Amino acid sequence: MAQQDFSKKKALLIEDMAEARIMQRKMLTDFGFTSIDIAMKAETAIELLRNKSFDVILSDYNLGNGKDGQQLLEEVRHSKLIPNTATYLMVTAETSIEMVMGAIEYQPDGYITKPFSQAVLQRRLSKLLETKERLYKVNVALDANNFEEAIIAAKQVMEKYPSLIGKCERIIGESLLEIKEYKKALSLFKKTLKSRKMPWALFGKAKSYFLMGELDKAEQNFRQLMLDNRFFVSAYDWLAKIQVIQGKCEEAQATLIEAIGRSPKNILRQMELGNISLSLNDSTTAEMSFRRAVFLAKYSCYNTADVYLKHLESLARISDSGPLLPRQKDNFNSTLKKVHESFFDDQNNKAKAYSYEIDIYLADNDISTAKQIFEAWLSEVKSGSAIAPTQQQSSVYAKSFGS
Amino acid sequence: MKKIDISTILASAIHESKNQVGTLLYQLQSLKDAMGSKDSNQKKIIQIEESLKKLNDEWVEYLYLYRLASDGYDLHVDTFLLDEFLDDQVFALQPSAIAKSLELEYSCDTNLTGIFDERLMTAVVSTAVYNALRFAKSKILISAKQENNFLIIAIEDDGEGFKQADTDEQPEEFLEGNTGLGLYFAELSATAHVVNDVRGFIKKESSQNLGGASLTVCLPQPADEEF
Repeated sequence: MAQQDFSKKKALLIEDMAEARIMQRKMLTDFGFTSIDIAMKAETAIELLRNKSFDVILSDYNLGNGKDGQQLLEEVRHSKLIPNTATYLMVTAETSIEMVMGAIEYQPDGYITKPFSQAVLQRRLSKLLETKERLYKVNVALDANNFEEAIIAAKQVMEKYPSLIGKCERIIGESLLEIKEYKKALSLFKKTLKSRKMPWALFGKAKSYFLMGELDKAEQNFRQLMLDNRFFVSAYDWLAKIQVIQGKCEEAQATLIEAIGRSPKNILRQMELGNISLSLNDSTTAEMSFRRAVFLAKYSCYNTADVYLKHLESLARISDSGPLLPRQKDNFNSTLKKVHESFFDDQNNKAKAYSYEIDIYLADNDISTAKQIFEAWLSEVKSGSAIAPTQQQSSVYAKSFGS
Repeated sequence: MKKIDISTILASAIHESKNQVGTLLYQLQSLKDAMGSKDSNQKKIIQIEESLKKLNDEWVEYLYLYRLASDGYDLHVDTFLLDEFLDDQVFALQPSAIAKSLELEYSCDTNLTGIFDERLMTAVVSTAVYNALRFAKSKILISAKQENNFLIIAIEDDGEGFKQADTDEQPEEFLEGNTGLGLYFAELSATAHVVNDVRGFIKKESSQNLGGASLTVCLPQPADEEF
């Protein structure tokens, strides 16, 4: 194993416990890191990752009350906040390692179990960085969304380094899915499964069937994954997708509620449940999901207008059957405030926010306030900064205002 | 009151204690750093450190044992280069061997790869090596090879070897003054590995290379043509 030069690598250390943090920072300094940023929780880490690039991320699984290390990893990998060329090393305890290993879809590049000595950490990091170097071309291609190139590079790597066969096969299979070569991907995953019962291969097989439109086979494989891996909650998300396509929205809703029971902090899952619930006219469940999503969005990569507007919409739909409770009204106003603060420079967002606000005041029978808001909206339309109300909206309002 | 499953309680108690051992190890590390290598107490500290590490590894073993025995363990296999895997094991266990003035080495074909659960096999190898450390006179050897679609990992020493009775039906004697948990753990770990309905297994033998005891762990591998 080649000795790694860590002095030019930029490290991010994420650890909530002071004692462990000091110890790990000392270890990293001792074996040559000169650039080490520190985050005490996932939310701070996301801010740092947004503004700076890192080569090595050393994150504890357990990060106190906020997101855990696995959720952080999933979010930053999904939103491509860190490139594939960067190394993510998860620090785990014996009990949390199952959650990390069971996550299948987004796994860290490596893990290290507490307690570990400086020598063990140095060795683990050296090896991981060496593997990253071997896969460099593959990862650069993946980061550029050049999947054909990634496949070619991965084939070369696995010929040269047989121990990387598993990693390379997985990359090839998933790249084939990206370029819509579903049949090829399926046969690759099947081939892997024949010799090794790798969860990622079963996941790949299930996704291939899903993308080929063979929903029954896909469902069967996702259900198998759920049985095999108690901690792989994403399988529920996929199952819900299948149920939506099959028009079984109630079942999809139940599936997502179960998934959220297991893993409540995933914002995209909360959004999905909210959307399905809205489509089922179940505005109470929708409101609960979007309220949670709003809470989770603040320090997340998915801090988009949609999260907040959907929450407003769900409250507006609740108000269709009567005035909001004071608590619900508070929720509405606090989310509306966030829209005003962060997302009010968009014409569409403005129009949506105004319409939901009018709905709320009309439900309260507060005609004059509703009217004022409508006029404010119209004047924004005149100045070109908001989309105009639809004909249907205008006629509903006209009727309600009684003029 | 609802009756509680005592093994679950014990498992979480072990987990708590293991975390405390981890904290002790960190504190010891700072003490060692502060003290400098010339200090006469250094040797004592290293002994304490090795004992704590062993304690930690044993508790890891018990935790896995609990999960394997209660069917709560999800096997996670991957492909590994044995040269790297065994090098890791020797690296982690070398200080314990040095503290007892014993040699610890590994040997295998540099291109040999195998498919197994890394965490389980790490715990199995360390359990076997800790055991060998108690019996070896001068040397312990870890080796790996592929034979008839099995990956065979052997831990051998140059001690007295298994007593005659042990090799039959009394595995309790394997860990003298111990409960035989180590061997039971190795067996459960091996049998958890299944390929096309073929299960893994363990063997207790005399060491051909060193004359002492040999524990071999045999893990089924996919047939070559399938690969």
